[in-house]
Amino acid sequence: MIKHQVNNPEERMILVCCGTGCLANGSGAVYEELCRALEGNDRYQVKTFAKATGCNGLCEKGPLVKIMPDDITYCHVQAEDVSEIVEETLIKGELIKRLMYRDPATKQYYRSHHDTDFYKKQHKVALRNIGEIDPAQVQDYLERGGYQALEKAIKTMTPEEVIEEVLNAGLRGRGGGGFPTGLKWKACAATDKQPRYVICNGDEGDPGAFMDRSILEGDPHTVLEGLIICAYAIGASMGYIYVRDEYDLAVKNLTTAIKDARKCGYLGRNILGSSLSFDIEIVRGGGAFVCGEETALINSIQGNVGEPWDKYIFPTEKGLWEQPTVINNVETWANVPVIINAGSDKFASIGTEGSKGTKVFSLVGKVVNTGLVEVPMGTTLREIIFEIGGGIQKGRQFKAVQTGGPSGGCIPEKLLDLPVDFDTLSQAGSMMGSGGLIVMDDRTCMVEVARYYVNFLAGESCGKCVPCREGISLLLDILTRICEGKGKLEDLDLLESMSKTIQQAALCALGRTAPNPVLSTLQYFRDEYLEHINNHRCPAGVCKELTEFYIDPELCNGCGRCRRKCPADAVTGEKKKAHEIDLSKCITCGECINNCKFQAVKVK
Amino acid sequence: MAVNSQQAADRQAIEKIVNSYPPERRFTLAIMQDLQKHFNYLPKEALQMTAVHVKAPLSAVFSMATFYKAFSLVPKGRVILKVCDGTACHIKGSNVMIDEIYKTLGIKPGETTPDGEFSLETVNCLGACALAPVLVANEKVYAKITPAVLRDVIKKYQGVEQ
Amino acid sequence: MKIRIDGMETEVTSGETILEAARRAGIDIPTLCYSEAFGGQGVCRFCMVEIEVGGKKRLVASCTYPITEEMEVRTATPAVKEIRRNLVTLLYRRAPDSDLMKKLFQEYNCDRIEPVDPEESCIMCRLCVKACEKVGANAISTVLRGTEKRVATPFDEGSEECVGCSACADICPTGAIPVKEEDGRREIWHRSFEMSRCEECGKHYTTQPVSEHVKEQTELNSSSENICPGCRRKKLAAEMAKVRLHVD
Ligand SMILES: Cc1cc2nc3c(=O)[nH]c(=O)nc-3n(C[C@H](O)[C@H](O)[C@H](O)COP(=O)(O)O)c2cc1C
Ligand code: SF4
Ligand code: SF4
Ligand code: SF4
Ligand code: FES
Ligand code: FES
Repeated sequence: MIKHQVNNPEERMILVCCGTGCLANGSGAVYEELCRALEGNDRYQVKTFAKATGCNGLCEKGPLVKIMPDDITYCHVQAEDVSEIVEETLIKGELIKRLMYRDPATKQYYRSHHDTDFYKKQHKVALRNIGEIDPAQVQDYLERGGYQALEKAIKTMTPEEVIEEVLNAGLRGRGGGGFPTGLKWKACAATDKQPRYVICNGDEGDPGAFMDRSILEGDPHTVLEGLIICAYAIGASMGYIYVRDEYDLAVKNLTTAIKDARKCGYLGRNILGSSLSFDIEIVRGGGAFVCGEETALINSIQGNVGEPWDKYIFPTEKGLWEQPTVINNVETWANVPVIINAGSDKFASIGTEGSKGTKVFSLVGKVVNTGLVEVPMGTTLREIIFEIGGGIQKGRQFKAVQTGGPSGGCIPEKLLDLPVDFDTLSQAGSMMGSGGLIVMDDRTCMVEVARYYVNFLAGESCGKCVPCREGISLLLDILTRICEGKGKLEDLDLLESMSKTIQQAALCALGRTAPNPVLSTLQYFRDEYLEHINNHRCPAGVCKELTEFYIDPELCNGCGRCRRKCPADAVTGEKKKAHEIDLSKCITCGECINNCKFQAVKVK
Repeated sequence: MAVNSQQAADRQAIEKIVNSYPPERRFTLAIMQDLQKHFNYLPKEALQMTAVHVKAPLSAVFSMATFYKAFSLVPKGRVILKVCDGTACHIKGSNVMIDEIYKTLGIKPGETTPDGEFSLETVNCLGACALAPVLVANEKVYAKITPAVLRDVIKKYQGVEQ
Repeated sequence: MKIRIDGMETEVTSGETILEAARRAGIDIPTLCYSEAFGGQGVCRFCMVEIEVGGKKRLVASCTYPITEEMEVRTATPAVKEIRRNLVTLLYRRAPDSDLMKKLFQEYNCDRIEPVDPEESCIMCRLCVKACEKVGANAISTVLRGTEKRVATPFDEGSEECVGCSACADICPTGAIPVKEEDGRREIWHRSFEMSRCEECGKHYTTQPVSEHVKEQTELNSSSENICPGCRRKKLAAEMAKVRLHVD
């Protein structure tokens, strides 16, 4: 065991990650147990206390416990481990090896998560405070420089200067479209109508992304500060935060943050002694992906069905209650205080020519290190997936990475060296979207992935306009047919022709981008479509009707894992002898192939 | 008699929720969310009273009640199984879990068992992708589920009475 | 301000939609969800046209696009025509039982497609919802979302708000709203209404709630007779004729 050095800290902080992922793994109990253990205990050399923080991004290894300033990270901590942590680490100063971070690839132990590959390559801007502060304490935020940007803006800058600064920083919207934020603010400020509104879009409906959630939960004040700075810049009187309905913790932390901000005088009348009067209200979404689209969101706030309208006049001119409105994404707002504090030059020094700053991705799927990562724009997909992400799980083969959620596309191996920014991803037929990165391996069927997204959109389209509503219904029909082995070659032409019409004619961007998953898989993985159609075979072994598993007797060493995992008792075989699958019993759930460590289970 | 007092209590609960918001159209969604939380579905009378309160046509309120996924017009089961079908969970086999639930309980997403015990729902990403596939049973999160785990969870809830 | 539509120069007022400007100039842009009474809805997208502003080309819905700057509009480019043809295919697939879609399907020379429900005829243009809104009844609305979306009364039951005016059925381009008139009663949207008789010709012409409503509205300025629109027109024409005689 390694002795840890304590740099004579005046106090010691135990940070327990209470993000959604860790809570799901039991971090709530860990935190409570820790508080109990620390209470009234005078055996520590320094004042020691526990804090519940937001998501550290390493949910896979949760519940995470960090000890500061010693900089020790413990993974998979359960309530039962607390007394050991107290005795061994806090009192004796010993590290507990079994709780330390162990690199899945190199098997090396790390004292702090900061030393791991997962963290070293990251650059935290939007996520700068998350995991380090208690989101329910405004004091924590202030100690890390919170609300200084607001003070600077109000006391030393004119509204025009604030807009110029955001414009010069080259900040582009993180909600998907990548529209220059400064331009939006400028357009709104240039209108001659009052009142004006600001909105924070926290709907986050992308079914594979949770970065906005982690910001709202883990650092709510930074979003408030961004909104207030914008209110000052454009002269808005009221702000709304539209939060996805399922995000209970985000609503809770935001509610506390707004109350505290009012108490501190950052919200309300004459903010910081200026003429700015501004307040913020939370609106809980009703559960509809389309409500992330800004006009649908506005409709939803107004108490209507969340249907978009034709945006031939921008919301900056005619938005909420037909008044000028700036609407930005959660992560966009989180970048604003940094720009004002550090200056636009500093901010713009990170990133690529056309996309400045960093981007938060939720790196999930068949990758070793799943979680939230924040990297400078221009980092390549290969770096994100193979260096930060540690490569593909179970030593399988990388097949594609899906970016941009339901509006995005699937990017194949040959484009992995693409530096990620708004423009390169669009050129590759995908999209930045909100930042979901879903890694797929050879066990992922690309036709089925396309079908999955189209099916998602069939339920999530608002159903207002014909190309989207009826077009998606037709795409879904065709893709389902292909997945069931009933596809025809002509179907591919129809897919392409209808996709084009949907892209060109749909009312809002949901419809206009809906064909992307279909078109990008057709472009890069056409052979998989052809296998389904011509040979009635699903090479990934996903489409049930087209899948037969078998065990290669040469590779099988009879470990019996597949036999034990099979829920249908379809695998038989004696120990240490090659096993067999009884196809009449097999329900093609894939448990066998997923669990075989010797790649002996194959798809026929 | 018991039915009537239940009705009266329900009506009172609706009134209390509805009146806790100013009579403006923009609070329709919030009112409906509170009603859904209280009743686990939106009773007809609740929608009618909401429409009167916010001065909107009943058809508009009904339109919203059927548009947003947070709402249900029929009572849900005692145990609500939510299988995450976000992309990460999907490619890690959430559809296998949905099939498994169909095999054990005979319900598909959006359905409730005839005895009113279980409802199955799919949700789009719970923000716990790192733990995929994820199941939430009455707010308790189960990470990295397999068909076997699923059967155990169902058995566990079948055992417990309220 | 002047714009060019299919090469023809047209004077327009700022804020006017492309569709309005084109119709005034006598250029036909096909529409399915547009009615002069309610303006553009942007629902059917059948009215898509290509516009060119400052050298940049875009496809837009002409019924909702407000003209605020000089532009060139093209209403029948190959891309526009392809969109219309595909939209007809999609709507025929949804509403194969409507005469309108059968006709358009032929007219646009669409390829065979398997319909979803052979008995469906609603194309979800929402004109009925708009009409009902205009009447002030707001008895029907769209329900559900995505591919399931349809028009209905709350809970699919008779609505207290419905006055049985049948404005919805009258405006429906596909005859998708069933109205039954028999023995002095009209059945529509799960309800049955007693009808009023025209005092002139004796025909049943509207439901009682409607004639009550009309009476309330018109009490001040006109007679409170129950007269059907046909007879009213005749009466008016006769009165006009009298007036004209006077002048002459
Ligand atoms: C179907 C659809 C869903 C969207 N969902 C979101 C979302 O969940 N969060 C978000 O910030 N933006 C979302 N957007 C983008 C918004 O419309 C809008 O562009 C964004 O909020 C603007 O903020 P930004 O400029 O800061 O990105 C969505 C767009 C579409 C078309
Ligand atoms: S494109 Fe789809 S989501 Fe957008 S308005 Fe049309 S139907 Fe609604
Ligand atoms: S019923 Fe008729 S008017 Fe109403 S949406 Fe359907 S087609 Fe249009
Ligand atoms: S008949 Fe009823 S539903 Fe139809 S327009 Fe008249 S009031 Fe509305
Ligand atoms: S929730 Fe703890 S690391 Fe994500
Ligand atoms: S007429 Fe323009 S969209 Fe229907």
